[in-house]
Amino acid sequence: MKASNKNAPRIWLTLSLLLTGAALTGAALAGPGNNSLVVGTSQEPPNIYDPWATNNLAIASEINGYMGASLVSKDNNGDLYADIAISVPTLANGGYKLTKNAKGDVTSNSVTYTIRKDAKWSDGTPITVKDFQFWLRVEQDERVPVPSRDPWDKAKISVVDGDTFTITYDPPYLFADQVSPPVAPSVSMASAWNAFDTATAKLDPKTSAKAINDGWVKFIAGFTTSRNLPKVVAGPFRPTAWRAGNSLTMVRNANYWRTPKGGSDKYVQSVQYRFIPNTNTLKVNVLSGQLDALSAVGLTFDQGIDLQRSERSKYKTYFVPSATWEHIDINGFSGVQKVKDLDLDDRRVRQALLYSIDRAALTKALFQSKQQVSNTFVNPISKVYKKDAKDYGFDPAKAKALFAAAGWTPGSDGVLTKGGKKFALNFTTTAGNTTRERVQQILQAQWKSVGVQVNIQNYPSSVVFAQDFIGGGSNGKWDMLMYAWTADPSLEKGNLFTSSQIPTAANGYSGQNEPGWKNAEYDALWTQAGSEFDLAQRVKLFDRMQSLWAEDVPSLPLYFRVNVYTKVPTLANYTFSAYTLYPSWNAYQIGWTAKGAAEIDVQK
Amino acid sequence: MATYTFRRILQMLPLLLLISLIIYALTALQPGDPVDQLTLGNSQITPADIARLKAAYGLDQPIYLRYFYWLVQALHGDFGWSRSFSAPAALYVFQERLPNTLLLTVPALLIALLIAVPLGIYSAMRQYSLPDYVLTFFSFVAFSTPVFWLGPMVLWLFAIWLPQVTGGAVSLPPGGLGSPDLDPATAGFWAVLGDKLKYLALPLSVLALREIAVILRFMRANMLEVLNLDYVRTARAKGLPVSKVVYKHALRNAVIPIITLLSLAIPGLFGGAIITETVFSWPGMGRAIFEGLVNKDFNVVLASLTFISLLTLIFSLLADLAYAAVDPRIRYD
Repeated sequence: MKASNKNAPRIWLTLSLLLTGAALTGAALAGPGNNSLVVGTSQEPPNIYDPWATNNLAIASEINGYMGASLVSKDNNGDLYADIAISVPTLANGGYKLTKNAKGDVTSNSVTYTIRKDAKWSDGTPITVKDFQFWLRVEQDERVPVPSRDPWDKAKISVVDGDTFTITYDPPYLFADQVSPPVAPSVSMASAWNAFDTATAKLDPKTSAKAINDGWVKFIAGFTTSRNLPKVVAGPFRPTAWRAGNSLTMVRNANYWRTPKGGSDKYVQSVQYRFIPNTNTLKVNVLSGQLDALSAVGLTFDQGIDLQRSERSKYKTYFVPSATWEHIDINGFSGVQKVKDLDLDDRRVRQALLYSIDRAALTKALFQSKQQVSNTFVNPISKVYKKDAKDYGFDPAKAKALFAAAGWTPGSDGVLTKGGKKFALNFTTTAGNTTRERVQQILQAQWKSVGVQVNIQNYPSSVVFAQDFIGGGSNGKWDMLMYAWTADPSLEKGNLFTSSQIPTAANGYSGQNEPGWKNAEYDALWTQAGSEFDLAQRVKLFDRMQSLWAEDVPSLPLYFRVNVYTKVPTLANYTFSAYTLYPSWNAYQIGWTAKGAAEIDVQK
Repeated sequence: MATYTFRRILQMLPLLLLISLIIYALTALQPGDPVDQLTLGNSQITPADIARLKAAYGLDQPIYLRYFYWLVQALHGDFGWSRSFSAPAALYVFQERLPNTLLLTVPALLIALLIAVPLGIYSAMRQYSLPDYVLTFFSFVAFSTPVFWLGPMVLWLFAIWLPQVTGGAVSLPPGGLGSPDLDPATAGFWAVLGDKLKYLALPLSVLALREIAVILRFMRANMLEVLNLDYVRTARAKGLPVSKVVYKHALRNAVIPIITLLSLAIPGLFGGAIITETVFSWPGMGRAIFEGLVNKDFNVVLASLTFISLLTLIFSLLADLAYAAVDPRIRYD
């Protein structure tokens, strides 16, 4: 008894150490061994393959790329290719038609698609016109909580024959030939949809919106969640397992119709996404060889640079220009006292603020010049981009002259003053975003050298992006606000800066012209461009729109961001661009060269 | 005792109601709402779309009405739908996340107790000896080392450095719940257990280390206090063996404050360990609450926090009852 008491702590200790020192054995590594692909990402989607995209998470779009198929889609160069359709409808081949009135104005437009005979759902049933009609009917149903119905609210499908249909947009849709209607498995979803339809048919969408939404959520959750995986999909991969919080596995869909060069068996047979929310842990996974590639939704720029330093030919790091425009909005609401006091509604002051900062040096210092300085809000790869837009190169002398012209001269402490008031303003961005915080510090120092006193006043992203804050410029919620917009470069409409998008109390502060910029000529050109179907003419209109914008600089353009990812060098056709956004666009061709995959598409 | 227990349970009800109100208000009044997440970066969205979505999510109602509807539903066991996990919030929290959290936190606490209690006694019995100094030093280092630093360090050590120097013979997985390739339904029990232990080893060690440091210091201090009391001196003076003095007389009194520590720690176990879970990609309650807040998925946050609040109340009652069981001087009338 005495001995056992004395040994008790020792026994406890030994037991504990045995438990904590659990088997230190080798973990399975990813790689081409079994012709599979392991991808790491920092986000997990709430659901997958929701044909109506009722959530807008980037990772959901990326994963859907493996399982989805479109009539036509875009490649890395922004060129259309046919997937479900037998060919890309164009004006030249008669698949795309414009209807004009006597004055020559386009009054409606239509696109005719013919479905491939071998296009099938993953269960082997054919994809038919009914599947597109079903998708459109649900999309247009006001009970369905899609974020935006544009342009599908003005579309109508008419059947030409068993495999061919025409979608007509009336009023016309500017990019009707650039996008195609998505598809939903009508047979698979029909009975659940009918149940939802019957249960909510008598409810008034205005007074029973929540009850209807609850019904919708139950319907869509039956086909899109980890507990209820999609029953059928159209794309090159189909989901087989989703362990919430851990991983999602997809295997090659034998019924997918496009075959990569040399046969599908030479390409990746299964894709597994691992959800690793902490980006530092994601980095460790890359370094330890657990991942073959990273998703486009993963690392920050700094982490990409860190990984690039440790490559040692095990993987390669890529910095891909994205469609995300980083900029600083300047509060231009003249009704705000501080805006008036600081003349922020005077374009000379805004121009001076832009001349005061050395954006080229900033991107060189922080981003190794991998992020291109922007001069306008339009992406440089867009067809309507103005290459010779006014370039506000670093010019402190010009900045001081412009400030002086607006009445701002340096006081005894070097800070610009006018009528006893100092040029001091708040600079806000999303707190905790280290890249932005570093940019702020550099810009703050550069502005200080010309006499602008900048106080950094950051808030969490949930505060910044709350509609009443970001849209609260007219209430003086912010002076200068740094954040980013993402837009498809092929669908540029110039919406961001039309005065109809100015947030006001009337529209619940929901417009996206946050600086409150109003320019009558821009508005007129924007309206004209919105119905200009001739690309050459639209380029001219956008040229002038960007000139006006660059002259007034309601926002200070900084740079277009890059997306960072890594991949093992022998992984082929795992690429993307600002057009395709995610590597899954080309899922059927992703493969290992060691397994015989042909490299068709190289990352630029 | 029964009357006391019944009275305490009755007191819990209004308290829980008040807590639910505070939790709801704090969650709902923070800036931003779920619709902001949908509109962000979507230049096509119109004010009409936003109004329509707000109505669909019930956000067009005043907060007191929203709380009332939520409370009525919650009393029926329905905590609403989780938008970010696409599942009923309560089901997701209790079926998916809670078991993972308990798998991590309960063994961590047990291991910590197994190690820290004997070490605390040992340290107290050999006060100011070399082992005591070593253990004290260890405690302070472990207590002061933040998990957000220690976690990545052990990941680097066991997932990168050791595999490199041992040619892959020694390595541990860099986070996750288990081998994604291992199907628990078809793999045998031992294969699943071995795999789980491999994935648990690092987060469990990191979590346990801090607990060990806390309990060790606590146990040492309690033990020292008790060892210096008159009744222990008397026991020694009458010639009882050291083991009997320590384990029968001193230890019983020294563990009473440990009950307080545990009663506070146990609800925390259910709440998860947010940083450890995040660093090691362990999908537990802590991460669910954090992600719920970030994604404005309020139902997950409300279900989790209400549950943890209820547990805190229950365990504080159990702790009070346990005092009476352990210490004959304490009686509730």
